[in-house]
Amino acid sequence: MCIRILLLGGLTGVLLLSTAAAAHHGAASLYDVKAETTVKATVTEFIWTNPHVEVGIASVEDKTQRWLLELGSPPNISARGWTAKTLRAGDVVTVTFNPGLRGMRIGRLLKVVLPGGKELTS
Amino acid sequence: MSGRGLVIVLAGLVAAAAAGCAGETAAPAPPPPRPDIAGTWHNPLGSPNRLRPPDGDVPFTPWGAEQMKAARPTFTNDFRETTDPAVLYADPNGYPRIMMHPMKFKLIVTDDYVYQLFEYNQNWRQIAIGKSHSPDDPPTWYGNAVGRWDGDTLVVDSTGFKASTWLDSRGLPHTDQLRLVERFRREGDTLAVGVTVEDPGAFTAPWTAQLQFNRVDDGAMIETIYTISDELRFRERFLGVPSPIPIRR
Repeated sequence: MCIRILLLGGLTGVLLLSTAAAAHHGAASLYDVKAETTVKATVTEFIWTNPHVEVGIASVEDKTQRWLLELGSPPNISARGWTAKTLRAGDVVTVTFNPGLRGMRIGRLLKVVLPGGKELTS
Repeated sequence: MSGRGLVIVLAGLVAAAAAGCAGETAAPAPPPPRPDIAGTWHNPLGSPNRLRPPDGDVPFTPWGAEQMKAARPTFTNDFRETTDPAVLYADPNGYPRIMMHPMKFKLIVTDDYVYQLFEYNQNWRQIAIGKSHSPDDPPTWYGNAVGRWDGDTLVVDSTGFKASTWLDSRGLPHTDQLRLVERFRREGDTLAVGVTVEDPGAFTAPWTAQLQFNRVDDGAMIETIYTISDELRFRERFLGVPSPIPIRR
């Protein structure tokens, strides 16, 4: 239903006139919040954006294993020590995340160990 | 100069001085010191505020109960089927919902207005000090707020809300008859806000919730403006839902 409304909005321009969208996506509907996956991975992208910062990773052991991870909002993770330059493509990090439900290659990042050993949570 | 002459001269000086001061008024007394509610405030981490009576249930009207039952918040349901207007229609959060958002808000106190600046979506609300509601005020997302100082407390009376927002992220409904009376009071590093909710369309009687916010030393506010492109990009990348329009960054 939501998608249909978005489509309708896009066609009519109603949504295009809006100055503020919102994207509060319940984690429980997307991620297995009781499961944690930890992988050593190479950062493929790090996007400092709203509503939530995004990071793409590829497993070091098997580069075909890729995930797109969601972090908190910029203000919230800034308070935890993140900046827009914390990660760069090519960084090798250890990432722990709640994996996506139904086999989706997405996740909610919980913790990252940076190349220098520093840990950050999201 | 004789004594009588001196009296005449002095009387003349007094008269001249009085004439020179004609039309002037005494300097206005300085305004009384205002309670220091200015600053940056944040929901308590781990125990976020809830807009509910501290004891007992919300006294819903049948319409209010029906709306509450039908509400599908994003965090308790699959957000793709949510009824949350802030997600479905990208509507502003409305009030007081935005004050309870996990991001910060700042109070700016001036002589004639108190401003609430919300980090979330860079929305803001103004409270006119010493003014009255105008019957011509149109309904708005954040209502029409007037305030007054009552000792150490800022009392804010708000009406004129659009009916389509939720009062909180759980789907608490209201109508265009909503009236909020808030009492802002600083208690050390805590801002206590009593919110009395009155809406005969949604509630059978007024009820009051007590909210508390913690002071934040770092008043920096980070830009968080969510756009349709942000939403569509999220859906495309995380859910594989193609965007119906080009996505901008």
